[in-house]
Amino acid sequence: MNFNSLVLLSAEATVDKPDGFLGALATGAEEFIKIFNEGGKVFLSLMGGILPTLIVLLTAVNALVRLIGPEKIENLGKAAARPGLRWYPVRYMLLPFVSVFVLTNPMAYTMGRFLPERFKPAFYDSAVSFVHPILGIFPHANPGELFVYVGIATGITQLGYGLGDLAVRYLLVGLVVIFIRGILTEVITARMMKKGA
Amino acid sequence: MSAINNLIVKVGRSVGGVVGTLYQAGRDSVDTVIRNVIPFMAFISFIIGLILTTGIGDWIAQGLKGSASTLPGLLIISVICAIPLISPLLGPGAVIAQIVGTLLGVEIGKGNIPAQYSLPALFAINPQVGCDFIPVGLALGEAEPETVEVGVPAVLFSRLVTGPLSVVIAYFASFGLYSSK
Repeated sequence: MNFNSLVLLSAEATVDKPDGFLGALATGAEEFIKIFNEGGKVFLSLMGGILPTLIVLLTAVNALVRLIGPEKIENLGKAAARPGLRWYPVRYMLLPFVSVFVLTNPMAYTMGRFLPERFKPAFYDSAVSFVHPILGIFPHANPGELFVYVGIATGITQLGYGLGDLAVRYLLVGLVVIFIRGILTEVITARMMKKGA
Repeated sequence: MSAINNLIVKVGRSVGGVVGTLYQAGRDSVDTVIRNVIPFMAFISFIIGLILTTGIGDWIAQGLKGSASTLPGLLIISVICAIPLISPLLGPGAVIAQIVGTLLGVEIGKGNIPAQYSLPALFAINPQVGCDFIPVGLALGEAEPETVEVGVPAVLFSRLVTGPLSVVIAYFASFGLYSSK
């Protein structure tokens, strides 16, 4: 037996279409329930499509992070605090990536405590801007805000294309963007601190 | 004898530790999924159902088609999201970005917006990311109150530049993405 036919009010019409006042009500009711039937279909496809993979992936990465121990990345935070041009990529690309990956949103921002005050806003800006680009490949980092990426990715799936290309490009462009963001915010912060002093 | 005993205890402990960690990780992930992911899925499904069955989708499509399938249109969206007074309002929970992302996804799926625009769109809807959270985020990094005072406007103004810039970068990075040859 097809369970869809059991869904309230949406059974196939086998008699004349109702007309008059009651008929209008009946049509209205059918239109009303159609919204939720459609929504239910979408819900089921999301639950069946994304959730199983997500749960397994979340478990694996959570276990990995627990086994390694989040405190291991503290040395990286200390390294990123060093001045000089060659530490910029560490501070605004590598450190945000690693802290968002290991500590996830929002604990990733605690890595800012290893940096001097003048770098903190820039690091926050850089790290917070990375909590979405990472979602395409590592959804464990920010599962509560998954739909920033999944919303758009669903459209791509519907067209029948693979998501790998989009996910990788999103991650890479995200890295470039957080790097630029970090540098610019650092410059603006320095200017404003000078003005304030 | 005691050496063997010690070995057995050691092995037992470490195996127990690993299994316990894995189990706890599973518990954590299911917890996250139930508390954060599924509620949002329910909410998003309702919105998609509403869009697909009623006429709302058509006028959203009209509105988005013009703005989300050209570079200037995406730039306008990103500038609006990055305005320092608006960005903290759009930020919380990334709810706005998630809804707009879903709407765009529906339109991309229908073919109203070219698939290659998915990449710049991901950045156009999101220059406000974390703008509501700056004081808390800085406090998590143990920043001084003076740093927070400077940091909030610094980040907000920086977004005004880097928001649209990210769209431009993503636009150029999207060449060859899902394009038929």
